[in-house]
Amino acid sequence: MKKLRIPVAMTLLLFVAACVTINVYFPAEAAEKAADRIIRDVYGEQPVETVTPVEPQSRIQTGEQPSAAIVLLDWFFSPAQANADISVNTPAIQQLKASMEKRHKKLAPHYKSGAIGMTANGEIIVRDQKLVPMQDRNAVKGLVSKENRDRSALYKEIARANGHPEWEAEIRSTFAKRWVGNAPAGWWHQNKKGAWMQK
Amino acid sequence: MMCPRRRLVTALLLVPGLLAIVVLPGFAVDVVRLKLGTIEGEGWSAEAVTVQLNWLDERHAGLVLQAQGVALPEGLGELSGVTLSCARARYTAADVHCAKGRLKAQSSVLGRQDIRAAFRYQLDTGHIEAELLGVRVFDGRLAIKATLSDTHWQITANGEALSLPAVTRHLAATGIAVPVVDGSGRLDVNVNMNGVALQLSEADVEVRLLAEEISDAEGGLAGENLDVSLHAALKGVTTGMRVSLDISGRRGALYIDPVFVEMPSQPLQLNARFDWLSTQQQVALQSFTFRHPGSLEIEAYGLINLAGDPPVRELRLEVRQAEFPSLYDTYLQPWLYDSAAADLDTAGQLSGNLRWEQGKLSHVALDPVNLSVDDREGRFELNAMNGQLRWSDTPTPVRSELAWAGGSVFQVALGATHFVIDVGRDYVHLVQPVAIPVLDGALEIDDFQLESGQDAGLRWQVNGLLEPVSLSQLSLALGWPELAGKLSGVIPNVRYDNGNLEVGGILLIRVFDGEVTLQNLILEQPFGLVPRLQLDAHVDHIDLETLTRAFSFGRIEGRLEGRVDGLDMESWRPVAFDAEFATPENDSSRHRISQKAVDNISSIGGAGVGGALSRSFMRFFEDFPYDRLGIRCRLENGICDMGGVVPATEGYYLVKGRLIPPRLDVIGYADRVDWDTLIAQIMAVTGQQDVIVE
Repeated sequence: MKKLRIPVAMTLLLFVAACVTINVYFPAEAAEKAADRIIRDVYGEQPVETVTPVEPQSRIQTGEQPSAAIVLLDWFFSPAQANADISVNTPAIQQLKASMEKRHKKLAPHYKSGAIGMTANGEIIVRDQKLVPMQDRNAVKGLVSKENRDRSALYKEIARANGHPEWEAEIRSTFAKRWVGNAPAGWWHQNKKGAWMQK
Repeated sequence: MMCPRRRLVTALLLVPGLLAIVVLPGFAVDVVRLKLGTIEGEGWSAEAVTVQLNWLDERHAGLVLQAQGVALPEGLGELSGVTLSCARARYTAADVHCAKGRLKAQSSVLGRQDIRAAFRYQLDTGHIEAELLGVRVFDGRLAIKATLSDTHWQITANGEALSLPAVTRHLAATGIAVPVVDGSGRLDVNVNMNGVALQLSEADVEVRLLAEEISDAEGGLAGENLDVSLHAALKGVTTGMRVSLDISGRRGALYIDPVFVEMPSQPLQLNARFDWLSTQQQVALQSFTFRHPGSLEIEAYGLINLAGDPPVRELRLEVRQAEFPSLYDTYLQPWLYDSAAADLDTAGQLSGNLRWEQGKLSHVALDPVNLSVDDREGRFELNAMNGQLRWSDTPTPVRSELAWAGGSVFQVALGATHFVIDVGRDYVHLVQPVAIPVLDGALEIDDFQLESGQDAGLRWQVNGLLEPVSLSQLSLALGWPELAGKLSGVIPNVRYDNGNLEVGGILLIRVFDGEVTLQNLILEQPFGLVPRLQLDAHVDHIDLETLTRAFSFGRIEGRLEGRVDGLDMESWRPVAFDAEFATPENDSSRHRISQKAVDNISSIGGAGVGGALSRSFMRFFEDFPYDRLGIRCRLENGICDMGGVVPATEGYYLVKGRLIPPRLDVIGYADRVDWDTLIAQIMAVTGQQDVIVE
């Protein structure tokens, strides 16, 4: 009787392990890489900051310590998750990126002067319009408004193109960090509390 | 009870009385010092007042009037350490006159003051005249002349080189809603005013502002190199104040967020006549004129309630003249960033009027005169628009008309058109059918209805007919390779809702002797950055000979039919579809395919025959008979899942030969082909640069 107990326990354990929920987590690292690719194209030639490594976010959730069975399952599932990538190669994304690249040439001097700053939600804002010549203030506001429209469309489009419209907010917040991360020193950005900081 | 003013007068009367007594022979008094304590008037008070008199001779005396503190009427602050001295005042039985006096005081508003002062006091009437010169105020100098007789007063003030920042700071501190500016503005001011007690009867104010550079803290209000004059005349009436205001901007540039105005060569002028009804907090506007030469001229009258929401109660605004492009560039564009009209080249004129009744916009009449708009991004253009556009907040619609001489949408030319529409409170109906010439054809619109709800966006619906448009012209206009044929169709139901266009019914394209029908057409954000197009297409009875000639593909004879299901295009590039084209079954037409076409098909299909024909005995044949040909592609995620007309033992037939020799089969093996590569291959064999419209 005693000899039987270990296989029974093992079977039970496997049974429990087989009931795990597989959650598709937002692939944060892939998203950062995708964001960096787009942002560097938009910014053009800029000094590049190294990407800070992020915790892997794809795993099987059980709420238990990983057991042998889960490690096994992990091994089965990991190839698919390792391929989890963020695709940014759709016509819409390319179009949006091209539009932003073109606009960036006009925006760049205003980032540099501090007239424009980056917000914590992945947009830009006129920080101090006094730094813009009076006759250009309208045009700069127009550029900022169009840039924000494109950025919102971009975040939405990336989420949609990757089959997860619900990722939009995470993609936006990934971009928010990477716009700042890839920016050259001297540009202004807002922290989450809205305070301005100079990179 | 004695009123405070009486107490002052009595105190002042004491002074000459004493003068008279003490100069009587026998009195050897040289100095008299009086302590008057606190003196109060309406709106002011002076504490610890002392008067000191020094007798010089029979007609002259030295006078020193001191007060520890003086509280002035609201807005003027308070004075401390006040000393009014007159080294040699002349006195008679009728008056006391000081020609060269000095007033020293510390003002809470104006700081330390040392002012040359002159005054005259008439003993019998109580009439006071005073003149203050060199009052240091707002970094400039002020000269004041004042007279007071009984309760009537009159003040003339001339200020020179007052600092605009200092003035605005002071006004804002006293609670007057003026923006505080910084910079280098100076004001020259002439004020003439009179009144009774604390009540202003009349005022005439002239101000000239010269400013090199001024700006408020946020930069929402700024000016450069400004020369602006203001003349205001105010008259107290029982209900409040009658005001006449004239402002003229002669030079410089002004930014009032979001409008940037550069002063034209002729002055910019604003004139207003209005009554300020103080108890109701209302402005009764008798006339208002704004003239920006070369750009805009408007007139208005009505009633504005400053305490109300919205403040405009009744207003009639006449747009006498509006000149493009200045009107658009200066006054309209700043409000249109997020619209399709964000970036336009404009020309022409506009006139009209707008009316507000009971706080709501009630009538609009706008008459464009040769108005042209041209989108700088090349999406649309309308030339020489003329008409009468009317809107009214009434249940019965009003008739409007609009005509244009020509235009284009995505480079497709539109001809002269004249619309007659009925405009209701929130809808527009077409009164009579209209035909818009499109290239060599026309879009006939039988019925057009536009609705705009309070919450919902713009919605419209069209029923119409597309009269044949030549494809060669259309393809050229769109920058495609030139196609032969005609595009036409019945468009029973085109709906536009919140940026998305949906075409009901069937669009028919007659091309290459066959027919292409388009169905389930949905166009999202056609004028947006990422337009998205979805449709299903059916292709019938296409003559391959004509088709292959048009694309210099290599001659193929025969017919072709097919379908494209679920075509999904982003920015005019396909991202998904399921398409299939093949020779119709039981097709009785002549089926021949040329060597060149075989080579081309092979390279597209990835069969890689690559000139094999020319090396074999097959090279003696110019063309080959075939049974059927066809191709299938299901595009998804940039990959085309390929197929042919029928499966082969291995791969699929792109061209299936006849049993009778010379028999030739083209078999494809590539199952999955990269779409961009496939397109590049098609481009290469057809000699096209790019058929995709960016």
